[in-house]
Amino acid sequence: MNKLKGYIKNINSSQNLSIVEIDLNGIDICSIVVETPETASYLKTGNQVFVLFKETEVSIGKNVQGLISLRNQIPCKVTKIEKGKILSKIDLECKEHRIVSIITTSSVERLNLSIGDEVTAFIKSNEVSLMEI
Amino acid sequence: MIELNLKKLLNIENKDQTLDIDIKIKTREFITLFGKSGAGKTTILKMIAGLVQPDEGFIKVNGQLWFDKEKNINLPPQKRKVGFVFQDYALFPNMTVEQNIKFGMEKEDKNFLKELLEITELYDIKDRKPVTLSGGQRQRVALARAVARKPDILLLDEPLSALDFEIRQKLQEKLKEIHNRFDLTTVLVSHDFSEIFKLSNRVFVLENGKITRSGKPEDVFVQERLSGKVKFSGEILGIKKDDVVCIVSVLIGGNIIKVIATQEEAKSLSVGDKVVIASKAFNPFILKID
Repeated sequence: MNKLKGYIKNINSSQNLSIVEIDLNGIDICSIVVETPETASYLKTGNQVFVLFKETEVSIGKNVQGLISLRNQIPCKVTKIEKGKILSKIDLECKEHRIVSIITTSSVERLNLSIGDEVTAFIKSNEVSLMEI
Repeated sequence: MIELNLKKLLNIENKDQTLDIDIKIKTREFITLFGKSGAGKTTILKMIAGLVQPDEGFIKVNGQLWFDKEKNINLPPQKRKVGFVFQDYALFPNMTVEQNIKFGMEKEDKNFLKELLEITELYDIKDRKPVTLSGGQRQRVALARAVARKPDILLLDEPLSALDFEIRQKLQEKLKEIHNRFDLTTVLVSHDFSEIFKLSNRVFVLENGKITRSGKPEDVFVQERLSGKVKFSGEILGIKKDDVVCIVSVLIGGNIIKVIATQEEAKSLSVGDKVVIASKAFNPFILKID
């Protein structure tokens, strides 16, 4: 589980859902939750929260062009690659944060990923959870 | 409503410790006392049953005082409508299953006896003696005998802990069914996390003689507030390393689910750990069963 600390920057709610933008010291990440400031007291602009997302929900793009619906596109640098038979674990660095991605080994090979590569980490907003600190 | 206001000086492992609790239990509630051994859980049950006398306080059951230090009231155990089930079955070896259960009754009631034998699935073996029964069967007899008294409070002191996993699962279901069917008010002492979640409306955590936390099991044991909408508590049954990840098997309400974790995460987990499995509301599929 990736667990990063940040501040709530903005909240936009419907009746039951909220899109929450979190500032992770310069990187913005967005989460969609089935909560509103009325149902969850920690949803308040300026509050500190943990942002959680599973390694297996982090996709990696290289030289990506064109438009993608995904909101969370984080520029990262590959710092470590651990290859397994089916899956591989990729360590990414973005400013002071470490993000881990688990993708298939065949994708690592297809992208020709190597240490030092500049890549983009993609995480769908609905895969990002928030935890009260 | 059952009101327990109890104080007693206990000597646990040569250390003096005051048990001091004040709790109210609603009629038909199923509550669990949870805590380390020596925390005073069993002593509380024994005080309710009249087997141990509190130093101070009172026990009030549906408006009637069973014990009151100030008013000098102390009903003897036989005058308290309590059903008690222990870890060891304490059945009468010379009596049959049916006779053991009948012994619990205040007056003979054939229909009720039949109902009890049926709900505990003992009808077909009602003429057998305890020595010929399995652990699970004996514990069902003990339970039926405790319920036969139509107790105001059913006290269960780790009743299933000596049984193996599958029998325990099945008997947990039975306990729930019996609690609901006979409108019982039940106080359970248990360490078994899945049992507590499955059975209890409220749990009281007892530490050093005092209640330190209480509430619904999910609120008491799930401390971190997570935005995940799909949340279950369970127990780790196994951790298998595979490739760069680990596959963690977790028992949740009688089902085993498998969760992928990184090896780093798995390092902090071990078999038997109580965990919360959480997922976003967006992930699970809903498939209709028909």
